[in-house]
Order: sequence, then structure tokens, then C-alpha cells
Amino acid sequence: MKKLIFKCCVYFFAIIICLEILTRIFYLAKDNPSRFLDDKKVEKWVPNQQGFSVTGNRRQNFSAYRINKFGFNSYREFTPSKDKMEIALVGDSFIEGFHQNYYNSIGKKIELILPQINVYEFGYAGYDFADQLHLINSYKEMFDLIDITIIGLDFNTDLNRAEYNVINERLASETFVKKLLKKSKLIVYTKEMGIFDIPRKLISKISIALLINKKEHLSSTLRKVSINKNAKNIKNFKSLVAKYNYNKDKFILLLDRTKTPDHFLSYLKLNNYNYIEFGISLKNAKKPTTLIYDQHWNNYGRELISKTIVDYLKNR
Amino acid sequence: MLFNSIDFFLFLFFIFTIHWSVFCRKKSQENLIILIASYLFYSFWDWRFLFLIIASTLFDYFIGLYIYSVDSKKKRKIALLSSIIFNLGILGFFKYFNFFIDSWVDLLLTIGYTGQNTSTLQIILPVGISFYTFQTMSYTIDVYRNKISPTKDLIAFATFVSFFPQLVAGPIEKASNLLPQIIKKRVFNYKQSTDGLRLILWGLFKKVAIADALSPIVDDIFTNYANYSASTLVIGAFLFSFQMYGDFSGYSDIAIGTAKLFGIELMSNFKFPNFSRNVAEHWQRWHISLTGWFKEYLYIPLGGSRGNTIKSIRNIIIIFLISGLWHGANWTFLIWGALHAVFYISVFLAKKNRTYSNSIVAQNSLFPSIVEIAQIIFTFSLVSFARIFFRSKSTTDAFLYIKQFFSRFEFEIYQHPLGYRMIDYFILIILFVIYEFRIRKDEREPFKFKSKAVRFIAYTLVIFGLLLFFDDQVDKSFIYFQF
Repeated sequence: MKKLIFKCCVYFFAIIICLEILTRIFYLAKDNPSRFLDDKKVEKWVPNQQGFSVTGNRRQNFSAYRINKFGFNSYREFTPSKDKMEIALVGDSFIEGFHQNYYNSIGKKIELILPQINVYEFGYAGYDFADQLHLINSYKEMFDLIDITIIGLDFNTDLNRAEYNVINERLASETFVKKLLKKSKLIVYTKEMGIFDIPRKLISKISIALLINKKEHLSSTLRKVSINKNAKNIKNFKSLVAKYNYNKDKFILLLDRTKTPDHFLSYLKLNNYNYIEFGISLKNAKKPTTLIYDQHWNNYGRELISKTIVDYLKNR
Repeated sequence: MLFNSIDFFLFLFFIFTIHWSVFCRKKSQENLIILIASYLFYSFWDWRFLFLIIASTLFDYFIGLYIYSVDSKKKRKIALLSSIIFNLGILGFFKYFNFFIDSWVDLLLTIGYTGQNTSTLQIILPVGISFYTFQTMSYTIDVYRNKISPTKDLIAFATFVSFFPQLVAGPIEKASNLLPQIIKKRVFNYKQSTDGLRLILWGLFKKVAIADALSPIVDDIFTNYANYSASTLVIGAFLFSFQMYGDFSGYSDIAIGTAKLFGIELMSNFKFPNFSRNVAEHWQRWHISLTGWFKEYLYIPLGGSRGNTIKSIRNIIIIFLISGLWHGANWTFLIWGALHAVFYISVFLAKKNRTYSNSIVAQNSLFPSIVEIAQIIFTFSLVSFARIFFRSKSTTDAFLYIKQFFSRFEFEIYQHPLGYRMIDYFILIILFVIYEFRIRKDEREPFKFKSKAVRFIAYTLVIFGLLLFFDDQVDKSFIYFQF
């Protein structure tokens, strides 16, 4: 039996090495750019990185990214000036667009329709409203030169906090051990496919079984949380716009009409906040607007978004 | 607990380790730990139905001893009949009660009776009931026929009935094969264990990379058949054949491999049925344990093919109809069985039913001949056609599926329901068929290569295939668990 266990271990490690090689040969795992916290405490990507984002276990989506000198995924460098017309797109992973070639981004699509405009994309996965306003405020001189700033806002996920502070969990992926693990393409690949979710699900299944009596208490707490959430999000919005001197003339919110509560939209209208709605056009689209493996916009989805922005700008 | 879940592999590792490190000193301890593991394994599904297994075990244990102890032919016969009635009674109640009530009500409705009270009992079908009841029946029948002597060791007998690798979906073992292995003291065998691990790996590949990967496509085509043209419906029927084969033979391989880890050899359940040259050969290669059971305990007692042609045909029809009904209480399975009876009878009348009994395609050559390829494609098409009934929810659906094939007889490019590349799946199937053809001579050695390096490459590629086609979102349960 000892021989069996020993041989199994030897085979296990040898196969792992071969699988690592195969994963690299077929480029099945995505590259992970490094992140950092700059001197203004803004979380960004380390400048001047290039690589490929891969989605699906058979490389169903394969796209190049390029982190510019400022630390965001964009085909262009950010050089705002007074004599050009410029737009900033600030947002989360939907604006960041690792899921599509950086040369085919929303910003590029807007520039193709409106060639006189330069679009600067400040997208970063996980950015919420506090992150976005902190970025704009930290680089105020730069954003003052930009004519219009469009800020992506998901009411349900982007307004969970009333003030900015550094999110250490996100930066924790830059620890030595995690960086080392990311070096293994096989680990990155299997993690993306959800292989590591299997033991995680097993553990959660066991914990649920142990916590069965606490379930009722938990569900009643969740009910209360959802009722209070909307009020809390609006309160956080008010607090953030007040803190960062939100510029109602230059800033425009980009939000999904279908996911935003009516009373928040009424509040925005009543207080003269400009916003662009996009949910309806995506909902009515005849072709799929998102990728297969996740809910980020595909090329068609991005086309619809850029068209919505262009229409708004033309009518402004 | 599914064979393709992490729960099972943790369970298996734990039982394997304690079996060979702690409980292997005494035979009784060995069987006791396997019995406890088996009951635990079954309890993960539903512990309440464990009592059914225990009841079946105790009844047949004592009936076996009784049959052996009495000399009176009449008493022996009564004891055997009581065992058969008991086991078929359990099976009939849990599996067929609703079917017969529904069919009876349907019949009354068609002759004009409109009764109000037509509700049936909501009976849950206990997993594996069709498998372990047949296994225990084989024991009492063999004792009655004096083929084996009954065991006095209750723990060993209970282990035979509930042996966890084959408890829920077979292979349905005959007592004469499995019981002697359980009764004797087992010793750890390195080669047997590595063979077992290889079979588990191959079974896992067939289940995860073939059956589970094809499942969303098959589900989509059989659910929305009304929207598709003939070419897509053909893809649906063919891919269902591969899905079913991957699912059931994958399960059987994992079961046989797991049993090997505990020093037990289960019978082969599949011998590359996709390479059958006629339907008779298909039935010698598909679900062998059930076919063998029916042959030994039903077909031969009915007279087999010894009588005149009419009697033989009658026996073939009975066997296939019962085989259809065994799969499930639904008219779709009966029609599936009837179709196979028709296919088989035509082979029987042509006197070709034993032509390929002892050979595999391209037995002494590297490639099959053109004739063999044509025979394989024809047989596979017939079997896949019959499976339209097997897969459809109702006979109406099955007939509409076939009708749709003729009414929209045109070609279309089928798109995967989740938007994945279809070409990936076609390449997978082609490579799978080529590999199975390569290993076609020995179903118990899927990695039989002279060179260790080639064998290692095969392991790596199989695991790589598993990763490429693993999908966490699909339903991972085994098709045959419902039977």
C-alpha cells in the first residue's frame, strides 16, 4: 500500500507539471496584471503592462490588454489639454474591459463615431462610487482639463460605503504567496473554471448543515437588510457627492435603468444630476449583449453602450 | 453521493485507508467496514430507504438458508416464490404503482368513464432498487438451483447485497461471482489497485468529459425539437447515444475500479457497444450484467432458442419488453424495448445473432473493413433511433420528434445553447471513438500500452481532456440512477 501511495504522489506531481506545460502551450489561463497603491492612495494597475485576458475553459474568449503609463487599460495615453475635446469614462470592470481587445473598447468605439473627441478610460475592476470620486478628486488638475466625466454607477453594488478607504482585500492579491501562486498558469486556469469552488462548496455545505438552526434568524436578518439597503445607498451617495464637491455640470452618471430604483432616479432628476440610461437598449437587443462565461458586455453590448453615450452627447 | 463528486473521493480515500490499514487483519472486520461504508454511502441519498435494503437482505438471507435446509421440492419452491414475490413486490410498489394506476385511469377515460378520484400516491423511487432486488433474487434462485450453497455469514451476505461501488447502478452481480470473493479473506494487491485507479480515471473521463459535456446539447435538442430541422435532430439522437454510453459505462468503470481497490473483481458491464456490427452484438456488449441476468433467469427458463422459431420469437419479445419495463414505468421504455425486439428478431431470423459472439471488430487487423464500418454505422443508427423513445418524456414527444425529422428534412448549423463552439464537441467525440477503437480488445485496461511513457502521456491527456470539458454548471447526476 505504501508503494501505491508513493507512486500516486510521484504521478500526481509529474502530471501537474505536464498540465502546467499544456496550459501554457495552449494559453488557457489569463495573465494577471499587478496592482498597486499610488502616492495619492489611488488603487491602479502597475503602468506599462501587457498581456491577455482569457475566458472559458477552452479559451472561448481571448483578448489583449495594455496598461498605459497612468495605470489603466487603454490604447492611448492620457494627455488632457484645454484645446481638445476630451471625455473621461470612469468605472469598474465593465469600463476597464479586459474581456475585449483594448483597441476595441467603448472609448475607441465612441472616438470612431465622434473623431474630434478623445476618450480616456479609467476603468478598474471593483471600483465603486467612492473609488471613482476619490480618483477624480486625487487627480483634480487632470480631470479639470477633461471636458466631460462619465461615471459608471450600479446603484446596488457601488454605493455600499459613505467614504473612501483603501480596500486591502483587493491589494492582498499582491502578497508574495499569491503572486507566486499566480505564476502557475494551471492554478489560475483551474481557479477560473471553478475547480477550487468544489471543496469550498463542500465546506459551506457542512457549515450550513451545522448552522441549520441559525437559518431562520439569518433569513429574517437578510430581509431587514434589503429593506434598509436602498435608503442607506442614497445616504451614501449624498455623503460622497458632498465630500468630493461633485461637479453637476461636468459629471454625468452612466446607469442601468432596469437595475436602478425609481425613487433614486427621481432624486437625481429633482436635484439636477445628469445621467445616461442604458438598460432598456440592452434589454431590447435582439442579439446577446454579454459574454458566454460572465455577464460583462461583449462587442455588441459595447457598441450599444457607446451608441447610447454618443446619442446623449449629441443631444446635450 | 455521486461518483463524480469530491465527497465520494474523500469518502473513498478514507474507507480505503482504514480498510487496508486497520480492518484488514480479520475477514469479518473487512466485511464489516465495507458494510458500514455501504450503508453510510446509501444514507447520503436517503437513510429511510436503508430499511428496504436491510429488509430485502434479511428476507433473502433466511430464505436462502431455509431452501438449503429442506428437502421437500414443494417447500423449496414455495420459499423461492416467496422471495421472488417479496422482491418484485417491493420493486412493483415503488417503481410501477403509479404507472399502472395512471395507465388504468387512462384506459377508463378512453372508454368514457370520467371518475373524479384519479390521484395516485406520491411515491419516491428508491435509488438502486432495480439493481439490488435483482441481485438478491439471483442469490435465492441460485441456492434453489443448487448452484451455490447459502452463506451463514450474515455480514458477508449483507455486504454482497449492499456493496457500495455497485449498489445504486450495478453491475448486477450474480451471487456465484461476488459472494465467494466477499466470503474469503482478501489481501492487498498492488496491481489490482493500480488497475482500479486507471479504470476510475477512465470512467471519470467518460462521465465528465463526454456525458456531462454533451448533456446541455442533448437537453436542448430534446426539449426544443419542434424548432429544429432534421440535421439537428440527428445530432441530438447520436449525441444522446454517446451521452448515455459515457454516463453509464463511466459509472460502471468507476464501480469496477473502486471494487478493485478493495480486492473485489466485479463483472464487466460494457464492452465497447458502439463498435457492434449488429443489434445482437450490441446486446452482448451493452449493460452485460442485466442482459446476462435476463438470459439466465428468464430467457433460458422460458426455453430460450431451443424450441421452434415461433417460441423463440415469443421469448425474445418477452425479454425485450421486460427489459424496457425494467428501465422505467413509462410507455416510452416499452416501445424502446419493442423496437429492440424487432431489430433482434430480424438478426435472429437471418441466423446472425451468434456471428459476432466471440470477436470484436477488426479482430486481427489494424483498421476495420469498409463492410464493418457500414455495419457499425447502421447498428449505431438503429440503436440511436430507438433511444429517441428512451430519452423522450412521453411517446407523443418521441413520435413528434420523428415527425419533425421528416417534416423539416433540411440541413442547418446547430448552435450550442450556451454559445460554446460546437466543433470542440465533434473533435472530442471523434478522438474518443478513435481511442476506444485503439483499446477495444480489453475493456478493463483502458491504458494498456507497452511503453510507460506512452501510458503516462495518455493519463495526462485524459486529465487534460477532463479539465477542458469540465463544467461546474451542468447536472452531474447519473442517468441510470433513476432506474
